[in-house]
Amino acid sequence: MIDRIRKYVKTFSITTAAVLFMTPFAANAQTNSTASSSGNDKWLHVRVVSSDNKGETVRVNVPLELAEKVLPAINKDRLHNGKITIDRHDVEGVDCRALLDAIKTTKDGEFVTVQSHDSDVQVAKQNGYMLVHVTEKRWNEDKNSKEAKMTEKSRVEVKVPMKVVEALFSAGKDELDVVAALRALSAHAGDTELVSVKDGNDTVRVWLDSKNSSD
Amino acid sequence: MMILAKIALGAVGTMAVATVYTFREGTIRVDVDEHRAGGSHVHFWVPAAAVPAALHFVPDDKLQEAVDRSRDALPIVQIVAEELEKYPNAEFVTVDGQDEHVKVSVKNGKVYVDVLDHNDEVHVAMPVSTIKEVVENMADRKQAQ
Repeated sequence: MIDRIRKYVKTFSITTAAVLFMTPFAANAQTNSTASSSGNDKWLHVRVVSSDNKGETVRVNVPLELAEKVLPAINKDRLHNGKITIDRHDVEGVDCRALLDAIKTTKDGEFVTVQSHDSDVQVAKQNGYMLVHVTEKRWNEDKNSKEAKMTEKSRVEVKVPMKVVEALFSAGKDELDVVAALRALSAHAGDTELVSVKDGNDTVRVWLDSKNSSD
Repeated sequence: MMILAKIALGAVGTMAVATVYTFREGTIRVDVDEHRAGGSHVHFWVPAAAVPAALHFVPDDKLQEAVDRSRDALPIVQIVAEELEKYPNAEFVTVDGQDEHVKVSVKNGKVYVDVLDHNDEVHVAMPVSTIKEVVENMADRKQAQ
């Protein structure tokens, strides 16, 4: 009888020890399976390359799902519940909503161009995307001809799916719904090059794909 | 003699089980090296499983102070910690300069922060599950108020 009890205790001890020893591996396997489940997630990538003396490169990779969940929790300054309050002064009096409506009704590929002394702004709709090109000008005086010569100071190219833009402006009058825009971006099929900026020594690139690291 | 052997076996077995239990969630590592004259060098690691347990021994007023200070950041860290578990291997931020390198990444469920600034080096590694547990503990404290 005692022998049988001893045998049960021994078997129980060995099994318990084995289970305890295997716990870290089981946890690891669980983590790996979670990793594969997030394989279809969209990632937002930002890369800033500075070619000045310091030669810095900054890479930021954020899963869209993470951004969607974190943004509503941030309540600071103009950001509340995933929405940004915009001031009329921020957009220099431009009625963004009217501009969006105008773009929606224009034909594909037709550019609305606003030219000024310091910059040119071109806005267009093409294949379901809104394209914005902004060129900042620099005027240098030419000593020989006494006429100012224009060179390109910076160039910004933005390409955003129309559905994302619509979602961005879907909140109140003076608000931008960033979370709604991120959701629309998540639903957008395929990889997208969103922003590219060339400003002097700095280049900025923002894009969307399914990889968890930038190239 | 036989009894002594059994006691020793029991002690070793208990220690082995205790060690596996303590290290089941990995370790928290902090390495700080200031490579200059008089610079400090700090290296320590603690079992991650010990941290939530250790929180129970933190004096209430000190923990309350931490909760009060992190009031705004707590919900954000809580969401980030929960979400990070879905991304066990990823590089979130990298900065590569001439004399500066920063990397924030997650590898095998552990958050790594590596900073190299001229002659100073800081490396921190902490399991995501530990961050989650600590934050949950603090959030519970906040709710209990």
